Amino acid sequence: MTAAPSDPDHQIDAASAMVGLPIAAAWRPGVWQFLVVARQMTDILEAVPLADDDLALAPVFRLPRPTGNDADA
Amino acid sequence: MLDLATDPLGPVISAGDIARAVLDGRVSARAVAEATLARIAQLNPMLNAFTDITADRALREADAIDSALARGTVVGPLAGVPVAVKNLVDVAGLPTRAGSRINRDLPPATTDATLLRRLNRAGAVLVGALNMGEFAYDFTGENAHDGPCRNPHDPGRMSGGSSSGCGVATAAGLAPISLGSDTNGSLRVPASLCGVFSLKPTYGRLSRAGTFPFVDSLDHLGPFARSARDLALAYDAMQGPDPADHACAGDAPEPALPDLARGIAGLRIGCPTGWIARQAGGEARAASDRAAAGMADAGAVLRDIDLDGAEAGRAAAYLITNSESAAFHLDRLRSRSNEFDPDTRDRFLAGALLPAAWIARAQRVRRWWLDQALAVFRDVDLLVLPATPCPAPVLGARTLTLDGTDLPLRPSLGILAQPFSCIGLPVVTVPVFAPGSLPLGVQIVAPPWCEARALQAASVLCDAGLAAAHPPPPTPTVPSPGNGG
Repeated sequence: MTAAPSDPDHQIDAASAMVGLPIAAAWRPGVWQFLVVARQMTDILEAVPLADDDLALAPVFRLPRPTGNDADA
Repeated sequence: MLDLATDPLGPVISAGDIARAVLDGRVSARAVAEATLARIAQLNPMLNAFTDITADRALREADAIDSALARGTVVGPLAGVPVAVKNLVDVAGLPTRAGSRINRDLPPATTDATLLRRLNRAGAVLVGALNMGEFAYDFTGENAHDGPCRNPHDPGRMSGGSSSGCGVATAAGLAPISLGSDTNGSLRVPASLCGVFSLKPTYGRLSRAGTFPFVDSLDHLGPFARSARDLALAYDAMQGPDPADHACAGDAPEPALPDLARGIAGLRIGCPTGWIARQAGGEARAASDRAAAGMADAGAVLRDIDLDGAEAGRAAAYLITNSESAAFHLDRLRSRSNEFDPDTRDRFLAGALLPAAWIARAQRVRRWWLDQALAVFRDVDLLVLPATPCPAPVLGARTLTLDGTDLPLRPSLGILAQPFSCIGLPVVTVPVFAPGSLPLGVQIVAPPWCEARALQAASVLCDAGLAAAHPPPPTPTVPSPGNGG
């Protein structure tokens, strides 16, 4: 499964406006280059055969235990 | 007392030997600190490893060690050992610059980071904070604000990053132990290019409290040293739970030093072929082969293995890093992007523009890759592979040729390291190179929470003389014109 190729120029214009992050003209070639690399990485990920239960996403939200003061409240 | 005129506590002495000399009363901690500060004053103008030299603090801490010993108070196993920390580690009284210009506006840290406090508690003496790539997004050791951190084996070449100052300071004898961080390879790339040892422990083993983050879900801290024994010494001093770091596992310390000499007879060593082998040049593969052969000589059993899921693991690491770090810095990118290092700014900006679906898939593949790796560890006890594709590139280089393809150097120099930090596995990097040649490192990768096993293998290679932090030339020469930086 490979997604349709994306256009880094379109991605810069559309996403930078959505995120509120203007990209100066002088920086555009560098950003463009790294978006191409990101696209290549995504193509590698798209080729991995994932099952629907491959879902243990890494970020962990761990609740703090009550402190002594909280427990008294 | 030792005669410092002959410099018996010279630049290549081990941390363990320094501590023994101090504890035995053969030299004072103050004399060690003064000798180290003198070496820093001599070499740092060329190497650019230190951004802050904490001379007053070092002498104060050294005097406290000497006073404690004079009173008969028990002092820890790092008594009088000079240490230095990557400048993303909080040092009371210094702004935690994290290699950036922007962070210099922060107020000075009011307390030390947890791991620095633990090193101090073990008797170590802080001599300074170390240069690094901006916000840790770097494999080169170049920094637009503080200048390049130069490789002591050839100052015209890269030190590796982002813990560049750590690799350089420990290689050059300016800090027998240094504390760095690793998100994608920043403990391993500088260790490889500078020819020293490092330990990236299991994700969650060592507290990161009091350090400036890069990618919270991937960030690790760990030590650099000049031997496997010194690595274990520093690692043991820093272990322990810390509720101040939400990712710290909270396990009781599992000291590695007591069983360091256990040996590796009978262990099964996996030598990856396929994609991993293709990312390494001939010198890197030869170094890894020498390390594996040394393990076989010690009674381990070698077997080739397929670890091609590493390619997808590396891709997942790339995208998670790019996106999570950009989100972390988004306000700074919006308001102060012209103050970033140009070489990190463009990558951060790109990371803020990635679709969420790409990142969610990267997280799922990360878990898939962990399952692949754990399956491999049912058949082998350790993995051995190169730490970097090649020795140190010249400063200013922009491309790296891997597997016949020219790639941008900055994101590619850590290609062999990224897959393993992505899934939090412990890795010891050992230097395997001939004296007088450019260093190269070899990764010894262990299953989760098995740092001690990787250190035992590293110790075997040290004892066999195969892994050694051969000292750089005594006086680094001025880099030749055209070598950049």
